Amino acid sequence: MNCRSEVLEVTVEARQVEEAMLALLHTILLHRSSGKFHYKKEGTYSIGTVGTLDIDCDFIDFTFVRVSSEELDRVIRKAVSEFKDALSSDGMGQISLEFYQKKKSRWPFSDECIPWEVWSIKVNVVNLANEQERQICREKVGEKLGEKVINVVEVINRHEYLPKMPTQSDVDNVFDTSLKDVQPYLYKITYQITDSLGTSVSTTMRRLIKDTLAL
Amino acid sequence: MAHFDTEYQRLEASYSDSPPGEENLLMHVPEGAKSQWHHIENLDLFFQRISFCTYVLYKNGFTCMLLGEIFELVQLLFVVGFTVFLANCVDYDILFANKFVNHTDSSKVTLPDAFLPVDVCSARIRENAFVIFVLIISGVFWLHRLVKFIYNVCCYWEIRSFYINALKMTMSELPYATWQEVQARIVEIQKEHQICIHKKELTELDIYHRILRFKNYMVAMVNKSLLPVRFRLPGLGESVFYTRGLKYNFELIFFWGPGSLFENEWSLKSEYKRGGNRLELADKLASRILWIGIANLLLCPVILVWQILYAFFSYTEVIKREPGSLGARCWSLYGRCYLRHFNELDHELMSRLSKGYKPASKYMNCFLSPLLTVVAKNVAFFAGSLLAVLIALTIYDEDVLSVEHVLSSITLLGVCITVCRSFIPDKHMVFCPEQLLRVILAHIHYMPDHWQGNAHRYETRDQFSQLFQYKAVFILEELISPVVTPIILIFCLRRKSLEIIDFFRNFTVEVIGVGDTCSFAQMDIRQHGHPAWMSAGKTEASIYQQAEDGKTELSLMHFAITNPQWQPPQETTHFISQLKERVHREATSDTHPLSLSESEPRSLIANLLVGPSTLTSIHFGGDSSLTNHAAAGSSDGASALRSLSPISSSLHLRGSLSAAHRAPGHTSTMSKAMAGSGTDARTVSSGSSVWEGQLTSLVLSEYASTEMSIHALYMHELHKQQSRGELSRHTWHRQDSDESSDSIPDEVRSEPNPHSRHFPRSHTFPTTVPSPSEGASSHSSSQQRYSGSTTDSFSAGGQVVRSARGVPMGGWAEDGQAAPRHHDTLPEESSEDDMPPHIHKVNAVCV
Repeated sequence: MNCRSEVLEVTVEARQVEEAMLALLHTILLHRSSGKFHYKKEGTYSIGTVGTLDIDCDFIDFTFVRVSSEELDRVIRKAVSEFKDALSSDGMGQISLEFYQKKKSRWPFSDECIPWEVWSIKVNVVNLANEQERQICREKVGEKLGEKVINVVEVINRHEYLPKMPTQSDVDNVFDTSLKDVQPYLYKITYQITDSLGTSVSTTMRRLIKDTLAL
Repeated sequence: MAHFDTEYQRLEASYSDSPPGEENLLMHVPEGAKSQWHHIENLDLFFQRISFCTYVLYKNGFTCMLLGEIFELVQLLFVVGFTVFLANCVDYDILFANKFVNHTDSSKVTLPDAFLPVDVCSARIRENAFVIFVLIISGVFWLHRLVKFIYNVCCYWEIRSFYINALKMTMSELPYATWQEVQARIVEIQKEHQICIHKKELTELDIYHRILRFKNYMVAMVNKSLLPVRFRLPGLGESVFYTRGLKYNFELIFFWGPGSLFENEWSLKSEYKRGGNRLELADKLASRILWIGIANLLLCPVILVWQILYAFFSYTEVIKREPGSLGARCWSLYGRCYLRHFNELDHELMSRLSKGYKPASKYMNCFLSPLLTVVAKNVAFFAGSLLAVLIALTIYDEDVLSVEHVLSSITLLGVCITVCRSFIPDKHMVFCPEQLLRVILAHIHYMPDHWQGNAHRYETRDQFSQLFQYKAVFILEELISPVVTPIILIFCLRRKSLEIIDFFRNFTVEVIGVGDTCSFAQMDIRQHGHPAWMSAGKTEASIYQQAEDGKTELSLMHFAITNPQWQPPQETTHFISQLKERVHREATSDTHPLSLSESEPRSLIANLLVGPSTLTSIHFGGDSSLTNHAAAGSSDGASALRSLSPISSSLHLRGSLSAAHRAPGHTSTMSKAMAGSGTDARTVSSGSSVWEGQLTSLVLSEYASTEMSIHALYMHELHKQQSRGELSRHTWHRQDSDESSDSIPDEVRSEPNPHSRHFPRSHTFPTTVPSPSEGASSHSSSQQRYSGSTTDSFSAGGQVVRSARGVPMGGWAEDGQAAPRHHDTLPEESSEDDMPPHIHKVNAVCV
């Protein structure tokens, strides 16, 4: 696939899942969001401001920074809580945050969504026996998350492909403009509970059709 | 108000400069997505389309293409409709005048009289279940073609706009764009548009990898004899069965079918990359193969009808694409896989094989059975006399024609004579299979070792006919394929599932920006080189990892020659330049017929050249130097080029050309270089300025193929001389892949003694030819014998060099000891756990 993919792996306790996920997703989105664009005539624009907010975690010794947009937070929280509910108390799961671009296509076809960066966070949930272990875990997970955040920042600081800044007509193809106060790149959050083996039927069918049509 | 004196102070200046206000906010100018060509989702498909379109559009243009496809659709409708009409709606009794029509006005029978009325006709069709079955399938087939056509038009349109907008080609040069140019431009625009987002720059190899990802796997699997395509049938001996249906099924199983090894087009599933549970995976694969085989068996009749339609349909296309296919023979599907280099595009392979078509059919025609010739001569004699009498009578009085069956017997006799004549050899043909085979080799680049020196034998001919089969056989195989394919899948392929799993695990590398590719396609001498093919000392490959028949080395040379801009990694560059230099030195050095050297096969090129050029009837003088010939030969233009004669000038010229090509603004520099280099400047600069670039690229590709031919011949020759010495000490016939493919015999690694290195003979062509005693003698003396028997077409130099090499005799004595020692490979199960996952990450620009 023509897209970068980054994988982060964390091992947490069941009650820490939500906060850990929020911390990582928000950290990535913080760097992949910008202020609202205000287009002027002559094809120029100015960028609005974005506030940030420190969030302290309850179950982890960790504080992360997120964009101070309640709307964005709500969307993320919803996705994460769905993931948490689906995850069993002792299992594996993966949540991925995918940034994509839309490509307009002609009438009979729907718009193509072409991902350019995918972050997959693999979660391993563990059960702990006693309070002492929990305490240790609380610190360790905090440290781990700190490392991951630095990891994310390193990846983002690399000079790699980003969609070009769009003109006013294209802005919806690159950025998510539905939020009032912040404008992240178009993103999608999906999750997967176990490693489901085998190509899904839909991809096979797609491939079959493509192959029969191929030149 | 207390006044605190703190360090924080207002910065007066900055505020006075920019008072708050909306107008003076920082303003940005959007770059906009000027073209839609940045960041393409499926690059594999995109590049495949580009390469296909370039090839198809080349000289045809968009409109021709469109019209051609539309006519093909109409043709299919016509053929199906007409056949059904002929079968069901014609009253043949009326046509043959067995039944009389009662006409009132005239006695003449008209065509419409023979047609059945519409209602009778449709009733007859409706009653016949078979016809309805065929009609339904053809309907589906036609719809499929229609949808495909529309889809293709969309694709062409997209690629066309890519050419014009992104590659900045003008409309006029569009039909003349060669693949090389297009590729160079793609590499260029990657820097600007970033089509592939993983890398800043795209190399030629990346593009080839993406286009040929799966084909490279197939080539490698055929090379390592993993696919069950050779069979030993009781009556027919060794035979090859590889049809399109079988190929389609292989691809379905490995690459994209439900539950295939590949997750998507660019990555192997992660569980197949780990060696841990290979047995389970093999079981899973085996059961999948079984199911697919059963499905094939059930769908057999549908596939059969589909295949007939498809054969009809693709036939016109094939003729359009390869002019060589009009003859009686064609390169078999297996041959195409066996002869294909790694990273060789379809059109490159096709043009190579088409060039080899003529000598190949000549070679095959050498072998006409004398018995058949005698019979054919006599049959032709009798048929001819009958025909002559009939024709003479007809000329005398044409009423003879109206006698019943005279016209048909004249036609039949004519056909009979034509058939017989094809069995009677040309009186002027010279029997020189060895040279013909050498000319073939110059184009096809691969052949098993034991063919050399055995070209006159029927075994060699039979094996060559596996690559180059009668078209009738090809069609017959295609027709029985729906029945045979499931049998092969269920009984042969299923047994190999463990090997297949191992193959994919061991020979897959992940290249950044490309995805998972076959590691053979990296053409890394160190990993997959074969010590008998010039990479001795450089290669670290075990026998399992070596590509057979010098595939790695030849592919590497081919790729480097066709893509002069490609910058290979350090060692590879070294290998290429070393080899080129050797060939060059051989070519330019004053090869006196009597100059000998024991260590280096000097005057090799002279041998190589004299063989083919005598055949293509370019006269060579006695002992004048090659460079003189080159100057003389190159005036003959393209035909001389093809006949390999102006080697030194081509090498010189090509060197300067590729050097110029690397420089920016290459077109102008190139024509200068051409003009400077003298010999061929005339042909090039005579064209108008529009044609100049076109012509240079054509000449360039012509030179490239010539150069590759020379390198291929040189490498084969060197290989032969190298291995003959060692083969006579040690001969190891690898009969089947099962013995060595799974685990690596470690004695091979640990033996430093060069003399005991084993040279497996061609893997894909297990030798069946020589019996032990005969084999040894043919190794040592066959060359002499045959150069002796065809002295007139061989130079003196060739004989001297060959006969002067002291070849130790009696190699076969050790044969028996070497072979069994080699077969005790490591037990399969024990090596399972410590088998490291052979997936390497290639981080840098791919190797």
